[in-house]
Amino acid sequence: MPKIRKVLVANRGEIAIRVMRTCKELGIATVAVYSEADRSALHVRTADQAYFVGPPPSRESYLVQERILEAAKKSGADAIHPGYGFLSENASFVRACEAAGITFIGPPASAMDAMGEKTRARANMIKAGVPVVPGTTEPIATEAEARDYAQKIGFPIMLKAAGGGGGKGMRRVEGLADFESAWRSAKSEALNAFGNDAVYIEKYLEKPHHVEIQVFADTHGNVIHLNERECSAQRRHQKVVEETPSPILTPELRAKMGEVAVKAAKAVNYVGAGTVEFLVDVHRNFYFLEMNTRLQVEHPVTEWVTGLDLVALQIKVAEGEKLPLLQAPTPNGHSIEVRVYAEDPSRNFMPSPGKITYLRVPGGPNVRDDSGVFPGYTVPNFYDPMISKLSVWAPTRQEAIARAQRALGEYVVKGITTNIRYLKAILAHPEFVGGDYDTGFLGREHTPLQGVEDPKLTDMALLAGAVYAYQRDAKRAKTLPGAKAGASDAANQGRISPWRLALRSRRR
Amino acid sequence: MRYFTKQQGQKEAVPVDLEPLGGDRFKLTVNGVTYQVDALALEHGTMSMLVDGQSYSAEFEENGDEVGVLLRGQVNRFDVADERRLRLRAGTAAFSVEGKQLITAPMPGKVVKVLVKVGDEVKEGQGLVVVEAMKMENELKSPKAGKVTELFAKEGTAVENNAKLVVVE
Repeated sequence: MPKIRKVLVANRGEIAIRVMRTCKELGIATVAVYSEADRSALHVRTADQAYFVGPPPSRESYLVQERILEAAKKSGADAIHPGYGFLSENASFVRACEAAGITFIGPPASAMDAMGEKTRARANMIKAGVPVVPGTTEPIATEAEARDYAQKIGFPIMLKAAGGGGGKGMRRVEGLADFESAWRSAKSEALNAFGNDAVYIEKYLEKPHHVEIQVFADTHGNVIHLNERECSAQRRHQKVVEETPSPILTPELRAKMGEVAVKAAKAVNYVGAGTVEFLVDVHRNFYFLEMNTRLQVEHPVTEWVTGLDLVALQIKVAEGEKLPLLQAPTPNGHSIEVRVYAEDPSRNFMPSPGKITYLRVPGGPNVRDDSGVFPGYTVPNFYDPMISKLSVWAPTRQEAIARAQRALGEYVVKGITTNIRYLKAILAHPEFVGGDYDTGFLGREHTPLQGVEDPKLTDMALLAGAVYAYQRDAKRAKTLPGAKAGASDAANQGRISPWRLALRSRRR
Repeated sequence: MRYFTKQQGQKEAVPVDLEPLGGDRFKLTVNGVTYQVDALALEHGTMSMLVDGQSYSAEFEENGDEVGVLLRGQVNRFDVADERRLRLRAGTAAFSVEGKQLITAPMPGKVVKVLVKVGDEVKEGQGLVVVEAMKMENELKSPKAGKVTELFAKEGTAVENNAKLVVVE
């Protein structure tokens, strides 16, 4: 396979910039694509070339395969990096790239097919001897059969509607006593919600941890794993904090899970970077959940503790090179990543798009901020609200937590609301600090995470607020002697926040 | 002079007495304690405040009549007014949820559902309109019990930040 000379990044925001950074270091030219909403986005200016691909909604721009391929042809790109999301796990796009003679930096379409559809992935993994969450693969016909099966795998169990999700037709059953009523209500709920009363059984895992293994495979049949990432700090199934090593893994368990992840990747002839997600129960049994056939959002923590550049490795593998290492490196130190979202935790995490009027990004030793935003940038409301990933490294977990706290303390974003204080509260929470936090942690700890007020700081804030009001009023009196409100707005356009302007126009 | 600072969620405004000492220096009294303060205002709503050798960096953000202060990781939101302005504003909605309440779009987005019609009686906390932004649906709730007197929101339309949606009286 020839060397890659020019990469089109079929993505936007922080991940597009992340990929371009490595390309620049490798002397590879970069091509951006952008939608109407992203003309002013940073990834456009980061790239050597940029092509317009359509209106703001992603299904009319970033997800339109023909437009992306057309931009690749026009720009003379010989490879496409899909980032995560969008077309990154779309097997038909991989085939379209092949047909167009463009290298897709990622796994072959066949591996995506095998892992994409969740029930098929489950069946494939059972065949490969990978442990999956115990349960039936088919719906169960009668209550008696279901009862026998539940006793066989042991309570508690989950009755799940085969027809759908969203918590409908799901019942947790603790024992035989509740079985009959749970069976009845699960079936009738399933029928009402999905028009199909088929129900199957899965073992219920108590307080599971979400632990994933990073795998890497080359085109010569070598497959390795690069240790784990602990991703149990989730809100509504969205990861908020990730770390490596996992505080609950022993070296033995790491080796065992790594081996199984490699087996899973080999079973589907995987190539490139992939992630095998597992649930780990209280007894430290682990079960396959799904495989992500792309680079993950949280890859920086793995880069911190292995010293590798995973994007560079993806490119090398796509060029047909052999993996530079043939076994997992022992993790060096500890890394934590937090995801900064444009959202308001005090208003039920409502998204907060808008203009960033001021931005101060943390720095200092072993701090990394992956973002796609800048002062004056307007966060559009068409895409994911994640605006940055802040990751840190330190020799130990305790020091990494302290460093992440310090870095978050330096972060200032004005104009939009972010979850920065919520992230600080998570890192300070005893359950997080203790290290044994499961996937239910953030859901359970919803209220205490709002933080406690320090009255001394409140007093200082009151003083600051009074001085601020005094200086503001003095400035107004000085700059606008006797001026009418309308004129003052125009004169002060640059200084008055848009909020205030909006409010004034409403009052008139 | 005296400023009244009413914190979000608090009933009573706290008085702060301010005496300018020239330049960036002030004598300030809050909750019975008097401080000598050196307050240097910088660009972009940043203030460096030195109090008895303690250094505080305050970041300000204005939101209507409200000022948000970020100081050592803590955020307080105040409504700050001197006595004259307070008198002017007495009885306006800024200090209460009495009278007419205008519900506006908290962000740019799309109205995906209108849950009420003009004339409906609504309870406090009842959903009025669902706005979608950044792939998430957000239900806007009524701040008080009352009657829907005006309805600007239309299903399927895009709305700007602060666009009028519903009036509850």
